[in-house]
Amino acid sequence: MTDRQLPEWVRRTLRRNEAWTFAILVVLVAYFSISAPGKFFTVYDITQIAVNAAIYLVLGVGMTYVIITAGIDLSIGSMLVLAAVAAGEYTIHHGGAGAGWGTVAVSIVIALAVGAAWGALQGALVATGKIPALIVTLGGLGAALGIAEIATGGQDPAGAAAAHLQNSLGYGKVLGIPWLVVLAAVVTVIFGLLLGGTRFGTHTFAIGSNPAAARRAGIPVGRHLVKVYALMGLLSGLGAVMWLASYGTTSIAGHSTDNLKVITAVVLGGTSLFGGRGSVLGTVIGVFIPAVLTTGLIVVGVQQYWQDVAVGTVLVGAVYVDQMRKQTRERI
Amino acid sequence: MGTKARDNTRTLLALGAAAALALTLSSCSSGSGSSGGGAKSITLITGVKSDPFYITMTCAAQAEAKAKGVGFTADGSAQWDVSVQRPLIDSAAAARPAGLLVSPVDTTALTPSLKQIQNAGTKIGLVDTSVTDPSIGITRISSDNVKGGQVAADALAKQMGEKGSVIVISVKPGVSTTDDRIKGFTQGMAKYPGIKVIPTLYDNDLPATAASQIQSTLAAHPDLGGVFAGNTNTAQGIATGLKQAGKQGAVKVVAFDAEPDEVTALKANTIQVLVAQDPAAIGAQAVDQLVASFDGKPVTASIGTTMVPITQQNMNDPSISKYFYKAAC
Repeated sequence: MTDRQLPEWVRRTLRRNEAWTFAILVVLVAYFSISAPGKFFTVYDITQIAVNAAIYLVLGVGMTYVIITAGIDLSIGSMLVLAAVAAGEYTIHHGGAGAGWGTVAVSIVIALAVGAAWGALQGALVATGKIPALIVTLGGLGAALGIAEIATGGQDPAGAAAAHLQNSLGYGKVLGIPWLVVLAAVVTVIFGLLLGGTRFGTHTFAIGSNPAAARRAGIPVGRHLVKVYALMGLLSGLGAVMWLASYGTTSIAGHSTDNLKVITAVVLGGTSLFGGRGSVLGTVIGVFIPAVLTTGLIVVGVQQYWQDVAVGTVLVGAVYVDQMRKQTRERI
Repeated sequence: MGTKARDNTRTLLALGAAAALALTLSSCSSGSGSSGGGAKSITLITGVKSDPFYITMTCAAQAEAKAKGVGFTADGSAQWDVSVQRPLIDSAAAARPAGLLVSPVDTTALTPSLKQIQNAGTKIGLVDTSVTDPSIGITRISSDNVKGGQVAADALAKQMGEKGSVIVISVKPGVSTTDDRIKGFTQGMAKYPGIKVIPTLYDNDLPATAASQIQSTLAAHPDLGGVFAGNTNTAQGIATGLKQAGKQGAVKVVAFDAEPDEVTALKANTIQVLVAQDPAAIGAQAVDQLVASFDGKPVTASIGTTMVPITQQNMNDPSISKYFYKAAC
């Protein structure tokens, strides 16, 4: 490498974990912009990619925390459905589609509370250290979805979202930017700063690097894990509110692969599945790579089956490059 | 390095085991509900238990079985998935019913199971969907889906003013029903020189995917005038996608079936045309055919039921609104 000839700030940027995945994103955007001039990377196109990525971004922020603690949460799609059903049922019995702002506010609180409570419960089980997070959240995945199906008879109930919610958060815009995107951006910035610049964030990294050492250093590991999983649940609840706002229905059957999508995004963004390493910024990039790929390939007119191949290849490639770089660094 | 690699393998193994466990769990929990006994009895296994289409079909089949004096049990997969439906079929077969009505969720994957059941002496009727192997089943009753696709094409072309691009967004390939509808739809659209059909996209039954696909398609084809939605979830995703793009109403949507929330969507103008099937007729006729075969009477090998286009203009007509699907018997 000709590292020595480069200015200091370039070297520092290149050493950042996110630099390489960001480069992939830039290459993808450049490629599609050149292949489909005037169709890709337009204001319309950027807006729609951002709107469609918004919910996954919110989920991805929570998942970043969970994975940094060396945990995993497979239940996010089910928590989202459960929170959506709880909020939806409340809305149905308090005015339905024509419900007022009071109902909207209460239904949002219900969604957030249900998500956070379910997440905290899973966190408490993980914190016992007796059941792996994979199993706890796999059980949670089935149980939360099951409860949602029992409550609704397996069918999406009609009138689950108030028109007020849909017309504001769902389709509303502020300065031309959809509210969904604004909300996702605010969540990302808040929890990005929380992870990078507070004791809460430092503890999260410490637990993921070495839980025994963290415990010896006086970090309340168990309590912290409960908080992290509760945060994941809270953000799943927020995802449920965003989903109800934009789709107007609980889509009970439509969230079975949310976990894989979100974990893919987080790992693409350079967060280590073994814990202790990762960033919210990386997750932002990781969410947008598959979003840009699928949109771009449709715009260019590539047969659909290639889209899954492309996302899979980029995922494996990005993690490979990341691991190679880590090994080189360790050897030095 | 060494330990890390081992950890890696262990995680993968754990994931695999967990996935297998999840599958077994889900199939076990939905495997109950059928019981044998009685003189002649018919078991119906539908594609998706909670789908109003199949509920309407089940209700009609149950009423017909009662009228004919045969026993009747029904069950259905929790999801549209071979791995969920197959154990259900196998456990229903264990009770050795005289007749089995199935809506197979795959055109080939269930053939071995069904063949075995048929060889054991159970009369099989395929309802709604079917399998490619023609030796399975004594009767096949479904909507004439190719015809339905043409009905959808004509209705959509009329809404579009017979010009612009049109796309099909469907659930997944390899489902006989939807494959036929797409075939009929494409054939039907060929009659209109002003309309261009864009290659079909599949959303795997995820509304979020459908929303992103319709918006991307709009970016690539600004003259998009119509969409054919594969099912309810897809139609919902498309409606959201169009609304976010500010194109609701400008791009016409045609969807199959007349489920309660689709009828609501038609009223709200998020869907412009519904092509309704007649699930009640499918269920009732299927029972009639099996009972005829029990009695040694001739059986019709293939029956196609009609499809009806519903729009805002005709939806209040009682001869049309009777085709709306039911959420419960």
